[in-house]
Amino acid sequence: MSAPAAQNSIASRRPARRIDAALIGLLLGAAILWFAPVGMGRYGTYVLSLWLVMSIGVMGLNLTLGYAGQSSLAQAAFMGLGAYATAILTTKYGVSWYAAFALSGLLTFAVGLLLGFPALRVRTHYLAFVTLAFSTLIWLLIRNEQWLTGGVYGISNINRPDFLGIKLFGALEFHRFVVVVTLVLSLKLWWLVRSPWGRAFTALRENPVRAASLGVDTRAYTLLAFAIGSAYGGFAGSLYAPLVEFIDPSPFSLSQSLFLLLMVVAGGSGYLFGPFVGALLGVVLPEWLRFAGSLYLIIFATIVLALLVICPQGVCGLIERGWHALRRKTGGAR
Amino acid sequence: MKSLWVMAAALSAALSLPAQAQDKVKLIDVIELSGAGAAAGTNWKNGADMAAADINAKGGILGKQVEIVHYDTQTNPGNTRAAVQRAIDENAYAILGPIFSGPIGASMQISQRAEIAQIVGGEAAGFTRQGNPYIFRTSISQAAAMPKIAKYLKDTVKAGSIAVVWVNNDFGKGGRDTILPELEKAGIKVTADVSTEQGQADFTADAIKVKNANADAVFVYLNEEESARFLRAAKQQGITKPMIGETTLLGAKVLELAGDAANGVKGHVGLSTDAPVPALQDFGKRYREKYGFSSDHNGVKGYMAVFMVKWATEKQKKFDKKGVADTLRGATIKASEEPGILMDTVIEQNGDLDRESFLAEVVNGKQVINTTLPRIKP
Repeated sequence: MSAPAAQNSIASRRPARRIDAALIGLLLGAAILWFAPVGMGRYGTYVLSLWLVMSIGVMGLNLTLGYAGQSSLAQAAFMGLGAYATAILTTKYGVSWYAAFALSGLLTFAVGLLLGFPALRVRTHYLAFVTLAFSTLIWLLIRNEQWLTGGVYGISNINRPDFLGIKLFGALEFHRFVVVVTLVLSLKLWWLVRSPWGRAFTALRENPVRAASLGVDTRAYTLLAFAIGSAYGGFAGSLYAPLVEFIDPSPFSLSQSLFLLLMVVAGGSGYLFGPFVGALLGVVLPEWLRFAGSLYLIIFATIVLALLVICPQGVCGLIERGWHALRRKTGGAR
Repeated sequence: MKSLWVMAAALSAALSLPAQAQDKVKLIDVIELSGAGAAAGTNWKNGADMAAADINAKGGILGKQVEIVHYDTQTNPGNTRAAVQRAIDENAYAILGPIFSGPIGASMQISQRAEIAQIVGGEAAGFTRQGNPYIFRTSISQAAAMPKIAKYLKDTVKAGSIAVVWVNNDFGKGGRDTILPELEKAGIKVTADVSTEQGQADFTADAIKVKNANADAVFVYLNEEESARFLRAAKQQGITKPMIGETTLLGAKVLELAGDAANGVKGHVGLSTDAPVPALQDFGKRYREKYGFSSDHNGVKGYMAVFMVKWATEKQKKFDKKGVADTLRGATIKASEEPGILMDTVIEQNGDLDRESFLAEVVNGKQVINTTLPRIKP
């Protein structure tokens, strides 16, 4: 597990083993998820796929917020841009999903770059307000430009892609496709955060003035943090559209951006596995809680509240704290 | 760490819940219990629960008790799809809901693939035009209601010009896009076309726009809470022109929230517990007694949806999921045969409904039905 500032000294002492653990974790996770849906039924498979797709969106926000420390309330808007770009290109213009996926990523990267400019001038709450305005703008655009986006009626019958001639129409096939895409994107992020880029992002979060004095181009890295984080939102949207096979403006509203932010924080901001845990809490937990009937939202909110009170660093922070306590107890720390 | 264990224990307990008993008819209600559709969804849910209780009290369907499970869609298409998928995996006999057309659009292909009837509360025109033979309405669609409104505006209100106020969601936009051509056909000029937001709190600016348009009448097509807020704003701005609406504007919730401002409102009502139909009035009375508030049209729709399943099952004399849809398609359900359907209902091949509807007026805070309109194809 990649660690935030508090654990940097340990990370730098034993980098090789920690990185391996994260890599093995990702590969093992993908292998488990490849086989997990067997016998789960289409509903279980769909929820797993939805979880992974949301995880990709949360991963992007985790890079922007968790690693680079730039608060953004626009991640759902980027998911919307990606989803609509993919849906429009594939349904109206017959573009292949793969090209649409790449174009969605490019589009959101470019828009993210533009949105990064205000981030150079304002920070924290003020930056959040700028991104909030952007989020509302995108939502209005999606809703009002009916000739392009279908407006409030949305876009239906979005096709799922083929993979080397294999139809991904079924829930299981598409789930496995999502697993592969998620793995590729998480490996990319894993590589990014342990590269000099990742360290520059962390430096930017911890102390931008000091980072600049050490020669880090804070301007370029702030813009990049936004652009890459936004592109992950776009990729998530590009998978969301064929997964649900229908999109309308509602899943890309401001409240969804806030929900994605909650997933970053609850999962563990600045941890590589945080987004997966956060999205598990945000997507899968409400589904599990359905047995509680009308009380499920109250139970869900209580769990999230309790979690954040007990552990402001999110679930990953809690696990890490527990792990270090255990190591101290058994005298395992060197 | 402890909290994790507690969570894990809770989750595993949830996952290991015993399988549902097999001797019941399991209907799964996928409905808006939170988010923008919560008010409509709660009415529907209560109506469906009441129907199940009524059916079970009389021995169930073909001797089997009815069990309804409600899954919240959060008024979100992705979650609705998950919930409908779950309903099918859990071997639901039929699917009830949802009401909003976005969530309907996201989930109707799944019930079609599984060949299960999905009985929804949506009124938007589009989803019965996609050739899906497993989707059924519980109310007449906007496409059927709007021509009646245009005729009413022309012949009864005698309006030469009109201001249209609508909510910019799939419901409001659908209604607006359907009525504008009808108004044009009737020779009524639209002098203001005012778009408002879902959840909007202040309608002063919109009311002023409508007042300045100086039309002969105002057509208001908003969700319930917003309708009430608009009526209050219109009263404050001193708008005296007739306010005409369709179902929502004359709903029980609007009358309660708008108070005096609702007096004089007129319009077309698809379903109402105040309609001069004893079965509807009786339903409304029992609903009020049970839940402590008046049912709107969504409560009636939820009640009817369950009885549509009952009627189809008893008609085919066996429990055949695909057969429910096959039996419903093109059927005429008479209230004399199946009192739970409340009003004679004709189901068309595409899942649209045709039945009598009403013209109403609000007098002293109460909905009074003036005229009963015949079916479109009598």
